[in-house]
Amino acid sequence: MSTAIPSPVPEPMAARASGAATTSGTAYGLVALSLIFWLVSVAVFVTHPLNELPVYFAKRYLVLDPTSLLFVLVINTVFLGISVYMLSRERTSSLLARDIRFRATMTVVFMVAMNVGVMANHLILLWALIEITTLCAAPLVARGDSVAPKTTAWRYTLYSAMTLAITFLGFMCLSQSADLRGIDINFRVDQLSSSLTTVKDGWQRLGLAFVLFGLGGKLGLAPLYSWLPETYEGAPTSTSALLAAVQYNIGVVAVFRILQVFHGFEIGFVSQELLVMGYLSLIVAAVQMMAVRNYKRLIAYACVSSSGVIALGLSVGRAAAYGVVLYIVSNAFVKSLLFLSAGRMRAVYGTNEVAPLNGVIRVMPFSGLLFTVGIFALLGFPPFASFLAEMLILSGIVQAGNLMAFTVMCGMLTIIFVSTGRAVFPMLWDAPTRVGPPVVESLVTILPKLGFVCILIMLGTYAPEPVTQLLRAVAASIGGV
Amino acid sequence: MTLPLIFCLVATVIPVFFSKISSAPTWLGLQALALGWITITHFEEFSLHASLVGLEVLLVRAALVPHLLRRALRKQENARISLMPSNLFAWIIAIMLIILAFKFGDGARADARALTLGVVAATVVIAFLILSTNHEPKAQLVAVLFMENALALFETLMPESWPLTVHLAISTVYILTVCIGCWLVSGENPVCKAPADVVEETK
Repeated sequence: MSTAIPSPVPEPMAARASGAATTSGTAYGLVALSLIFWLVSVAVFVTHPLNELPVYFAKRYLVLDPTSLLFVLVINTVFLGISVYMLSRERTSSLLARDIRFRATMTVVFMVAMNVGVMANHLILLWALIEITTLCAAPLVARGDSVAPKTTAWRYTLYSAMTLAITFLGFMCLSQSADLRGIDINFRVDQLSSSLTTVKDGWQRLGLAFVLFGLGGKLGLAPLYSWLPETYEGAPTSTSALLAAVQYNIGVVAVFRILQVFHGFEIGFVSQELLVMGYLSLIVAAVQMMAVRNYKRLIAYACVSSSGVIALGLSVGRAAAYGVVLYIVSNAFVKSLLFLSAGRMRAVYGTNEVAPLNGVIRVMPFSGLLFTVGIFALLGFPPFASFLAEMLILSGIVQAGNLMAFTVMCGMLTIIFVSTGRAVFPMLWDAPTRVGPPVVESLVTILPKLGFVCILIMLGTYAPEPVTQLLRAVAASIGGV
Repeated sequence: MTLPLIFCLVATVIPVFFSKISSAPTWLGLQALALGWITITHFEEFSLHASLVGLEVLLVRAALVPHLLRRALRKQENARISLMPSNLFAWIIAIMLIILAFKFGDGARADARALTLGVVAATVVIAFLILSTNHEPKAQLVAVLFMENALALFETLMPESWPLTVHLAISTVYILTVCIGCWLVSGENPVCKAPADVVEETK
């Protein structure tokens, strides 16, 4: 059945018709800058053997350790992909062409804050930088095409401020705990553990509970998750990718820092809290995904479920730690791949709904195929890293003897698998609702997504030894074996 | 130290019970003046660090941010509504939360530190109360700014003052919050832009 919607034509023709065929220097500048960021992070990785880490600098306010090194590499790789995507989109969208300077500037400021935040060795500084990344991302979210983009952006900002305020309450309780014991507290990551006690302490426990609860909200863990689907759906897709694949990781780093500080203190309590938030997130995501018929929202709920899997894995600790780290890294590339592919589909079809996109793989062969690959990676199919990571997490949960967590995770992932398949597979393979030749997509459009697919396959099959060592070092820092 | 702390508490509590959103910038400015006073008292001797921190509090928190907020609230119809709904229930909850906040502070001992912790906790819970009782984004923005002032006050509890890097980061957060917050909560949402973009790609 054909519809009244005009059939797609090759992109360059459409672009010439709209007058947006030229690419500004700003977009090239953004790509060049992201390339520099990426090259610097790779150079740091190559020139700093793991046994020489940690390296402190900026008066010990910043640190280069395995955790910061891994996440600097990940976020800058994703940033490079997103920049290339923005370059390709600018050629076909006059809206983006008009707005490119503002969006590129905010993106660069966001990335600078991200890089510094990931390396922060002071919890208050890290806290402030997480908030700065949110405040840089909010105007980008407000550039979206939802019904009320500014309202969406404000809710995102407000939720972030609230979750970070809860984290701040946690810092206050930790300070109170230390003061009652007559100890001066210092919020440097490498010194905070000396202010903690192994004796059962209500203030310390309350502080830890608030800190984890607040950071959990920033990661989209239930119950403070509702900002995430709304923001990811309403924001422009490049911004959704930035939030899901880049900003998410600063929250992960903050949680890792807390786990590193509290290693040997209150581990049982941390596990219980993460376990509860993990269960809730998986259940919420599974239930919501059953009803979703909007592919951007579907990816957003997949982010909530991923956070749930990460929380469950972290609650187990030792055996699942490597799986969790691998899952987080693969998650960044899966989310970027999905959002960037979704952005292409959104640009051609003009909707986030699943139904009008029937047969998208025939209309947009490359983006459709890459979206399919992303969905398989999301669902944890081999040979992608997410498959290996999920297996390692499940095996860690079994080794820890937590059969309840194993059952909940398997059950909810099965529901998510069925719900995603029911929503997405007809969209991919049904008869197309549009007539005409397939959309011609340029190499620049496909290149970043292809890169992400290659990384996912590499991590899932044969990761180079230095990368494996780095992942192991990060896993060891959060209590892994 | 007690007098500026009480001054700060009054500047936090009074607007919640009696103030309109439009007068919030004045109260924020007063909070900042109290904060500046506390900061100066906190540093026992004069230093470059102390003067820079004091200057930051006075310029950013007492002058710049209230000015930006006042400008954003000017001519806004809904800036005339109360910061917190004026009803007995909300008032009782607010009073209970302030008492609880001081119980929290008193856990240490009845001294300046306990009072400071009480004021910080009271400011945070008041901010949460405004967020939960007022759906008006402008009031929510004021609540977020209250929270950030509480964070600045929290610093005085630390044995050592935060370095300038951390101050700079926190000041940046404060300025960005008011700039971006004012832009987001004032004015209309832009008209949905999707169709134009779509036409370009499909025609």
